[in-house]
Amino acid sequence: MLARFSFLAVVAVLASGCANTSPVIGGKNISYGDTKAVELVTNEFGSTDLQMIAESMTRSLAQSGILQGRPVVQVYDVKNKTSEYIDTREITTSIKTQLMKTGTARFASDNTDMQSQVDQLKLQNQSGLYKKSTVSKTGNMIAAKYRLEGSISSIVKRSADYKDVFYKFSLQLVDVESGLAEWMDEKEIRKTTER
Amino acid sequence: MASRVFISLALAAVTLLSGCSMFRSYDTELQATNQQLASGNVDGALTLLEKNNSSDDKDLLYYFEKGELLRAKGDLAGSQAAWHRADLAVYKWEEAVKFDTERYLSQFGSFLVNDKVRRYEGYDYEKVMLTTQMALNLLAVNDFDGARTEIKKTHEREAVIAELRDKEYLKRENEAERQGVATQFKDLRGYPVESLDAPDVVGLKNSYQSAFSHYLAGFVYEALGEKDLAAPGYRKAAELRPNTPLLEQALLDLDASAVAADESDVLIVVQSGLAPARDSIRLPLPIPIDGHWVITPLSFPVIKPDTSTATFAQIGVDGRQQNLTALNSTTAMSRRALRDDMPGIILRTTVRAISRGVTQKNLNQTNPMAGLVLGIASAVTEGADTRTWRTLPDMTQVARLRLKHGEHQVSLPNALGGTLVTVKAEQRHQVITLRVVGNQVFASNPAQAVASLKQP
Repeated sequence: MLARFSFLAVVAVLASGCANTSPVIGGKNISYGDTKAVELVTNEFGSTDLQMIAESMTRSLAQSGILQGRPVVQVYDVKNKTSEYIDTREITTSIKTQLMKTGTARFASDNTDMQSQVDQLKLQNQSGLYKKSTVSKTGNMIAAKYRLEGSISSIVKRSADYKDVFYKFSLQLVDVESGLAEWMDEKEIRKTTER
Repeated sequence: MASRVFISLALAAVTLLSGCSMFRSYDTELQATNQQLASGNVDGALTLLEKNNSSDDKDLLYYFEKGELLRAKGDLAGSQAAWHRADLAVYKWEEAVKFDTERYLSQFGSFLVNDKVRRYEGYDYEKVMLTTQMALNLLAVNDFDGARTEIKKTHEREAVIAELRDKEYLKRENEAERQGVATQFKDLRGYPVESLDAPDVVGLKNSYQSAFSHYLAGFVYEALGEKDLAAPGYRKAAELRPNTPLLEQALLDLDASAVAADESDVLIVVQSGLAPARDSIRLPLPIPIDGHWVITPLSFPVIKPDTSTATFAQIGVDGRQQNLTALNSTTAMSRRALRDDMPGIILRTTVRAISRGVTQKNLNQTNPMAGLVLGIASAVTEGADTRTWRTLPDMTQVARLRLKHGEHQVSLPNALGGTLVTVKAEQRHQVITLRVVGNQVFASNPAQAVASLKQP
């Protein structure tokens, strides 16, 4: 009986030792924050806005029922119509990642990836460096059924005591063959700062 | 006898202090350095700079000037190394401001210390221009990714400055009200008010945002295929310099056809002249001492524009004249910085003069000799801060055009010696920078400028 208890105690101690995280070096005033925490440092476009837009758009698109049978989508640049340096590609990358993770859609090489894709195909087919049986053949790239495009705009108003920023992000899914917009949604965000 | 010894000692101390680096005449030093630069003797200018900064503890200004001189020499690696040191100093300033803005503002607003005795921390526009100039160095060797980093740093720095100044101006208004100082720079009789009220100064949104810096950001982002970031760059530039066709066109062309395979989208950047000097002017101002208004001479800074380089609005490219669009004037930015700082300078100078006046009055009653010494010491040490980045280019003008791959001739106007520079267009997007001082033309990238010769 005692032996069994001792064994259990040893296992518990070992297990608690296993749960111990790696040692921390230094770090008096440094801490890791919650990436989902609401960020209100300034009223410029921030991480929470990016996450809010990406989540809202992904949910809306996934629930629309338009993406039947994992269609191929090509993501275009989101036009930045504001005067703020907003990396809109980060928004579309988040949307793309979430849709990909849920297996709702497949994505064709977009504008930025296309050059690398073409270069790689040329290298494999024209350089003579690769074993023929392993070379990816040209002419087999999958064309997109839909293209995803959008824009972000803002209205900024200031007074001596207030700064009000209104962002509007809109996204649409267009059928490449018919040219019809099959889905569209927008997300509005208002941020006000009192000085 | 004792008082005579005391006076002698005090006068000796004052004389020694006036020779101290804190009381150096930056204007005189840089006039000589810039003369060397304008005559094309960059090595001579660098030697002078080193001679004037012999101490091991180099300040921000030294690295500002050194970076620009090495850039004129064509030593881009050396220039970047010097500017990295300057950038580190600005980064530390930025961190101090972000970490505890209130503490920074109360230290800066101290009424006890004369501005010229403080460690030089650079004007806001200098901090913004530093990373812009660093981006130009990188673009001279077609390093667009490196330039993107510097440009991003510029946006972040601008945001820190904007927030700090908002808080500072509010705090200063409250402080002026509390101290009862209502003088404005327009009330200073004898001060060249019109220089700070000029349309190109008042027309600026603030002292630190540069249309050129944002236009360059737009160009770099566009070259890297990031149109979503290029658009705000061009848009911000257009907001800072309204009614400038080049800026509006850049925004319109963003969705236009791509650059053909055998041509380059070339941005020619011509930076000419030198940043203005700061001088000190003494003006009598009535200040309240012990309930009486006493007319006291006080020192204030004034801006002295540089006249070393003739202005021009066109350059020749392969024999055809191309219009240049002015996107930046350091003189206007410097004046705007002074215009915005003047209420604070007036407040600090006045409060310091009041406390000095009271001390001197009390000393005069107890020990007239000591009062006299304090008066002499004040006369020597009081003066406006004349330090500023002087080798920084004054005007920045640009021309954007499509050139076929290969060598092209860029010619400068005859007033500048008619220099011909041969440049090579070989990249899809390319930035060619020319630096003009006096009638000397310096091309930042020796590989880009294949030959530089004077027309017969």
